[in-house]
Amino acid sequence: MRFLRTRLIDLVLVMVGVSILTFLMIRLIPGDAVAIMLGANTEVTADRVAELRGRLGLDQPIWVQYLSWIGGVLGGDLGVSIWTRRPVLDEIIGHVWPTLQLTVLALAIGAGLAVPLGVLMARLRGRGWDVGLQIGSVMGLTIPSFWLGIMLILALTVLAPEWQVLGYVPFSQDPVGNIQRLILPAFALALPILANLARLVRSAMLDALQQDYIRSARARGASEASILFKHALRNALIPFVTSVGIMTGYLLGGAIVVEQVFAIPGLGRLILGAIAERNYPLVQATILVVTFTFVMVNFAVDLLYALIDPRVRT
Amino acid sequence: MSKSSGNAAFGTSALAAALLASAMALSPATARAQVLQAAVDASPAGLDPHLITAFTSFQIVNGTIYEGLTTIDKDLRIVPGLAQSWTIAPDGKTYTFKLVPGATFHDGSPVEAADVVASINRVLSKDIASPLASRLAAVDKATASDASTVTIAMKEASAPFLTALASIAIVPRAFETNKDGLQRQPVGTGPFRFKEWQPNGFIELSKHAGYWNKAQPKLDGVRFNIIPESATRQVGLSSGQYAMLPNIDAATALQLRGRPGVKLAETMELAYTLVGMNTSKAPFDNPKVREALNYALNRGEIVQAALFGAGVPGGPLSPALKDWAVSTSSFPCFTHSAAKAQDLLKEAGVTTPVAVTLLVLPRQDIRDIAQVVQAQLNKAGFKAELRIPELGQFVQDWRNSNFDAFVSTNAGSVDPDDYFFRTFRTGGSTNVFKYSNPAVDALLDSARVDLNQAGRKAAYDRVQNLLACDGPAAFMTYGQLFTASRQNVTGFDIIANRSLMSLADTTLAR
Repeated sequence: MRFLRTRLIDLVLVMVGVSILTFLMIRLIPGDAVAIMLGANTEVTADRVAELRGRLGLDQPIWVQYLSWIGGVLGGDLGVSIWTRRPVLDEIIGHVWPTLQLTVLALAIGAGLAVPLGVLMARLRGRGWDVGLQIGSVMGLTIPSFWLGIMLILALTVLAPEWQVLGYVPFSQDPVGNIQRLILPAFALALPILANLARLVRSAMLDALQQDYIRSARARGASEASILFKHALRNALIPFVTSVGIMTGYLLGGAIVVEQVFAIPGLGRLILGAIAERNYPLVQATILVVTFTFVMVNFAVDLLYALIDPRVRT
Repeated sequence: MSKSSGNAAFGTSALAAALLASAMALSPATARAQVLQAAVDASPAGLDPHLITAFTSFQIVNGTIYEGLTTIDKDLRIVPGLAQSWTIAPDGKTYTFKLVPGATFHDGSPVEAADVVASINRVLSKDIASPLASRLAAVDKATASDASTVTIAMKEASAPFLTALASIAIVPRAFETNKDGLQRQPVGTGPFRFKEWQPNGFIELSKHAGYWNKAQPKLDGVRFNIIPESATRQVGLSSGQYAMLPNIDAATALQLRGRPGVKLAETMELAYTLVGMNTSKAPFDNPKVREALNYALNRGEIVQAALFGAGVPGGPLSPALKDWAVSTSSFPCFTHSAAKAQDLLKEAGVTTPVAVTLLVLPRQDIRDIAQVVQAQLNKAGFKAELRIPELGQFVQDWRNSNFDAFVSTNAGSVDPDDYFFRTFRTGGSTNVFKYSNPAVDALLDSARVDLNQAGRKAAYDRVQNLLACDGPAAFMTYGQLFTASRQNVTGFDIIANRSLMSLADTTLAR
């Protein structure tokens, strides 16, 4: 219970810190919404600029803006988008599904393939194949997703020109088109975590295979398969679970880049667009929501970890 | 054992291939009847035509969703739009517009004079805070004489007024005091009506069945897909997923040239690239230093090196404005001479090399140009450094005249007044050079109210000569503007002001 309480306090502190940081940082970037929208060399008189700023509420002192914003957030109101006056929450909900789908798909590919691949790598240790797999996994770790994304798009236009790769259609509208468009970006996003997790499973397996209980199992005459999957893998999975939680955070970050390349209207595009047009309420709310998600995932992983391994509970 | 492990080692790629194959087999032929798929790079902040004036918004709404009383055609002439005809009183202080019969808004209501009056009042209103208000500065009062006649009384004669009206969209009178209603749900009179906006995904327009010109539009709709990556847009056009990339620069266009199934339309830009100089402080407060910078530039080399040959050196007005632009052959400083530049610096009495920092607009073509400019200046008695900030920072420094000099692009229009008055008149809203020349001011003031074409032309010729060599801006180049499309797209005309109004005449062959 004490464990739970400290984790909860951490969580609240992180959220308060993030709210202040995002609020200040976006305002530290020079230029404001009006200047950005008008761009350079637009014909507009100074008094009109002042009127526009007043209209958007940008003429208030910064602490007044923060207090009115945080007050709203605590009351469940995340604010309205600066130009369209649409509730920020609607904008976020409108962008959350593509990112969620992409992240889950990438996580499924990454985590799903990492276990068999990692076990295999552990099994083949020291043989010729091992070197190839190691090189492959290092490449997977280091290839940037945006480059891989562009390469996949280019390759596909040559190999299968009919394939619709770009953009996004909701699953409810066109399930096939939806999967068709998401599978490549999900793969581009998944490759680094696949490589990362596979290496992790490999070393955890190697570690587990040297333990005494494996030797005992061998002595008892257990089959090779039983030793690998029943005895070693179960123990190797503990660090794996933790890593998957951390990877989820990586995926949210990576999704920004991949969404940009594949033109997927997800949260990443929303944040980038909001920063570019200095849409303060939208940036603040989106970062807050994403941070909250990440913190909650880690919280859940911590709890899960405590369940698996009794030693961390104290 | 080794056999099975070999298979598993390639499990990743095998699985990907299997997924590819299965999804392809299931893929339906997504045939959308006569909806043109265009790809643009940025999502507009909103679609209220009186509020969001950036090109990302303009190209989606101008001439497609919205129309003004007048229109600018592909040859950059002022032609009737929602007003089928007009008369101007001899003193230029009263305009009477007759509206086109049968025009309706997308909500079904008829377009009447009261809507035009409401639209003009909306732009002028302090509450709406439209940045377009300065274009209607000469308007005293608009009144509806009858349902189809609008009378506009002017404070003074205004030569660029009919040009300005082309950019004032007519909206239903119900929006006169409605600040936010049009940002997400535009309602206009144009050939296409707003259908759907998936933020960061696409904006789709569909045919306006009640459009007053019964011959238009020919398409059932247009979808503007928002694709931020240039490489992705190019691949999309090459593969046929997109049918058009409107208003792209030379670098992108030249990469697409020659791809099978792709064609390019091009026209001369109205916007120009320039080195703008701060005339309120040393060293550019000295006209001789400004002239030296002009001689130091080799404009032909800039066109070749940074615009890939797709452009021309140009003076204060775009060569596309054939009725107005003075030939660059009459500007001596357009003949590059590093020696002459050095001499002028000596005459100016400044110590060489003259150290200057160039503030650079963070856009790829402008960065390329700035690097060439830097090299040229450094060979002619200057010591130039580049500062390339993020866009927000650039705009702020630019507006506050916080620079020695800047490299950027200035927008143009079809009327010389738009080029000059706000930018070079003392106290003009974009006169960030802090330039003040009484002779230029007097000419700009008189040409603005002069309705006589020959008189205006003489005044603007004089202005161009005054500005060209020791003015606050070294005018450099006018680039080519391109639109790339699939071969089966017909009837589309590229227009230098970046309007996509000719989508109304565009068809898609099967």
